Amino acid sequence: MAEQSHGEGGIAGHLQYWTLKIDESSPFMQIHLDTMLVSLVVACGMFLFALWLKGKLVDGAPSGAQNFMESVVGFIDQTVKDNFPVHNPLIAPLAFTVFCFIALVNTIDILPAFLLGNVAHMFGVVHFRPVPTNDLNLPAAMAVSVFALVLYYEFKLKPVHFCKELVMEPFTSLVPGFLKPVVMPINLILKLVEEVAKPLSLSFRLFGNMFAGEVIFLLISFLLLGGGAVGMAAGFFVGLAWTAFHLFIGFLQAFIFMILTVVYLSIAHQPVEHH
Amino acid sequence: MSLDLTFIGQIVVFLTLVFLMKKHLYGPLADLMEARSNKIAQGLAAADAGKEAKAKADAEIAVQLKEARTKASEIIAAAEKRSAELNEESVIRARVEAQQIVDGARDEVHAELNRARQTLRNEVADIAMIAAERVVEAELDAKRHAKLVEGIVSAGFGNA
Repeated sequence: MAEQSHGEGGIAGHLQYWTLKIDESSPFMQIHLDTMLVSLVVACGMFLFALWLKGKLVDGAPSGAQNFMESVVGFIDQTVKDNFPVHNPLIAPLAFTVFCFIALVNTIDILPAFLLGNVAHMFGVVHFRPVPTNDLNLPAAMAVSVFALVLYYEFKLKPVHFCKELVMEPFTSLVPGFLKPVVMPINLILKLVEEVAKPLSLSFRLFGNMFAGEVIFLLISFLLLGGGAVGMAAGFFVGLAWTAFHLFIGFLQAFIFMILTVVYLSIAHQPVEHH
Repeated sequence: MSLDLTFIGQIVVFLTLVFLMKKHLYGPLADLMEARSNKIAQGLAAADAGKEAKAKADAEIAVQLKEARTKASEIIAAAEKRSAELNEESVIRARVEAQQIVDGARDEVHAELNRARQTLRNEVADIAMIAAERVVEAELDAKRHAKLVEGIVSAGFGNA
C-alpha cells in the first residue's frame, strides 16, 4: 500500500529501473540491478530455506514448515500427474520452482509502495522497482526457458513428427497434391506464430498483470496523499482492498504460469498419433 | 519495457534455482513423501492381512469350539449312560444278595426248627417212657423199647 508520495515525475518516475548501462549505444547492453538484486535475494532465500528444511526433515508425521511444504509439493505433484502422460523427473521440480518463485516475487508487491524504494534511496539509489515480475525480463526469461525445454523435448521425443507438423499442418491435407508445396511455407509461418505465441503469452500475461497491479498501487498512493483527509481515508481502504486482491492475483498468476508450463511440456510429451 | 542483459541473468538465476530446488527441496521432500506413502501402504496391507488372519483364526476357533462342545456332550451322554448302567447293576446285585441272605436265613430257620423238633421228640420219648413205666408199673428196657417208642412218638407228632 502507498504511504507517501515520493520523487519527481509522478507515476512514470516510479516506473524507472535501477539500471547499469554497459554500452550506451545498445539498449540491450544494460542490466536492471533492482530486478537482479531482488530476484537473487528471493532465490537465495528459497535456497537457504531448502537447506534449513532439508536438515530438519522427519520421517514421521510432519509439522510446521515441512507440513506446509509437503502440502505444496503434494499439490504440484498431483497437478503434474493429472496432466502428464509419462513420468519425467524434471517436470514436477520445475513446476514447483516456477510456482514458488513467482508467488514469492509477486507477494513483494503487497509491501507498501515506496518502502523498498525509500530503503534504496537511503543507499543513494534513485530508482528502484522492488517486484522483479514487473520487469519483462524475468517473465520472459522464465517463459523462454520453458519454451526451450518444450522444443528440446519435441525434438528429442518425436523429431520427425515435429518437423513434419511444422510444414504440413494445418492446410496440406486440405489442398490437392500439386498445391501442397505452395501451402508449406504458409503452414510454416502459421506454425511458427503458434509456437512463438506460447512464450509471448506466458511472459506478457504475468508481466501485464503484475505491472498493472503496481501502477494501480501507485495511483492509489497518489490518491491517498493528494486528496486531503477524505482522500487519505478512501485511499487507505481502497489500497487495503487492492492489496488483498493483488495478493490473490499474484498467487493466481503463479498458478497459471505453473499450469501452462506443465501443459506445454505435456503436449511435447504426448505420443504421436498414427492415423 | 525492452529486453536486455537482465534477461540472460534471469535465465541463469531461474535455471540454477530449478536445479537447486530439485536437489535440495523438492527431491528430498518427494522422496520422503513417497517413502512414507509406501510405509503407510505396507502398514495398511499388513493390517488387512492381520484382519484376514484374525477372521480365519476366529472361524477355526468356532469350528474347534463346536467340535469340543459336541465331544463334551457325547462324553457326558456316555457317562450318564454308564452311570445309569452301573446303578442298575448295583441294584440287581443288591437284590440278588438280599435274596441270598433271605434264602440263607430261611434255610437256617428250617434247620433250627428241625433241630428243635428232634430235641422235642427225644424229650417227649423220654417222658413217654417214664409215663408208660408208671402206668404199667413195670420196668421197661429203655434200649430195647426205644425204637418202639420212637415210632409211636413219630406217629403222634408226625404232623407237628
